[in-house]
Amino acid sequence: MAEIQDRGDLRDMEVWNGFISGGGLAAEEEVLLDWKPGDPVTPQYVLMLPGYTDGEDTTHQAVYLFFLFFYCDTFFSLLLLVMCTDYLCSPEDNVYNISFSRFKIRDLEGGSVILDLKRRCSTGDVIELDAGRFIQYHFSPTFLNLREIGATLEFTVGGKAVNKFRLIERHYFRDLLLKTFDFEIGFCIPYSRNTCEHIYCLPDLDSHTIEDMISHPFETRSDSFYFANNTLIMHHKAEYSFSQGLELNENQT
Amino acid sequence: MEMDASGVSRAPISVLPAAEVKATLKPEADKPRCSSTPCSPIKSTVSGYQILHMNSNYLVGFTTGEELLKLAQKWSSPDNSNTEALPSPIKKPVDLSLHRASRIYKAKSRYYQPYDIPAINGRRRRRMPSSGDGCLKSMVSGEPSKALHGPLPLCLLKGKRVYSKSLDYLNLDKMSLREPADTEVLQYQLQHLNLRGERVFNRNKT
Repeated sequence: MAEIQDRGDLRDMEVWNGFISGGGLAAEEEVLLDWKPGDPVTPQYVLMLPGYTDGEDTTHQAVYLFFLFFYCDTFFSLLLLVMCTDYLCSPEDNVYNISFSRFKIRDLEGGSVILDLKRRCSTGDVIELDAGRFIQYHFSPTFLNLREIGATLEFTVGGKAVNKFRLIERHYFRDLLLKTFDFEIGFCIPYSRNTCEHIYCLPDLDSHTIEDMISHPFETRSDSFYFANNTLIMHHKAEYSFSQGLELNENQT
Repeated sequence: MEMDASGVSRAPISVLPAAEVKATLKPEADKPRCSSTPCSPIKSTVSGYQILHMNSNYLVGFTTGEELLKLAQKWSSPDNSNTEALPSPIKKPVDLSLHRASRIYKAKSRYYQPYDIPAINGRRRRRMPSSGDGCLKSMVSGEPSKALHGPLPLCLLKGKRVYSKSLDYLNLDKMSLREPADTEVLQYQLQHLNLRGERVFNRNKT
């Protein structure tokens, strides 16, 4: 600690966002009970979400009611039916200027690379910021046979250090929560480029669910919530298709 | 550890420097290339992304939100109402995604003319995909990309900057009362109208 304080280039301790002092972090239990609409979104909040976020803004109030009635079992099952709102934060909430520069997914068992994307600087028309947080994937049905997938994220950080950088990703098929993934990336220094690989173990699904997922493209969805210091800073969405190419399935009605 | 619906835990991660990541890649066997999809090692670009590698055995393709919005704007433009049939390597579209996509465009497309289903016991029957396929086929052959992506996701329609576009996109104010429409489309559009009304009502309360 003394060695760090002697360094002239670390004048602004706030830049490190509590990494050194350990301060600035709200108690997780207090955040859970005291949350109300308009408050920062925390990991505990998103872990309690009943479904994929694709509803209207009024559902923010619904989630607030959800916590109010959390201890009242009579209303609990009713509130579970409430769909949540769409994006839980705005693009401007990314105050750390985190930008994903490369994304790669690979099959860990077979070793083959499935997708490797490198982001280029956008040119031409102005792109809506919400559109930049959404993507559709067209997988083949054989993708569902994979067991472990490695997803490598390369991202850059702006002038503020990121403390307790964390990703919570939830995958749904319609109203069914398939699986939740929780990755704590940790601390990122300012003006850095970082690479991190996340290991996804695909859930064991019954054949009926798999068939439904294949025959109903884009009804499999995911929310990716990125947190820094237990506060939501980014929210990305994705939809997935596992259809057999683009041919008509005669069994579909 | 992983988390499923019953508990919370953290999944293991491995933090690798970029150089090591490249070194651990195993060389992939050559696979036959498909002319309709980008394949490795061809370096193609898609809406701000450069595709360094894509394995078509697992991933047929992907579409960014920007592309979807551009497609939606293209589909909803008046110049696109007389789209000619475009050659496509795709023989038959996925029927379900087409049906969902057609729900959005029924109010506007001149090619789609669903016949009126007579009411039974006071309730209109749901239109079955097998009926009126002649109209759908013409729409499909003219605009196959609509069927590929399904209806535009709500999260793109409700973005702050695109919200006004979504209203134009649905053409609610231009919809003719005489125009036959499927019950599902009307319900979907009414839902949007009701939600807008609720928001105004809430503001007046404060």
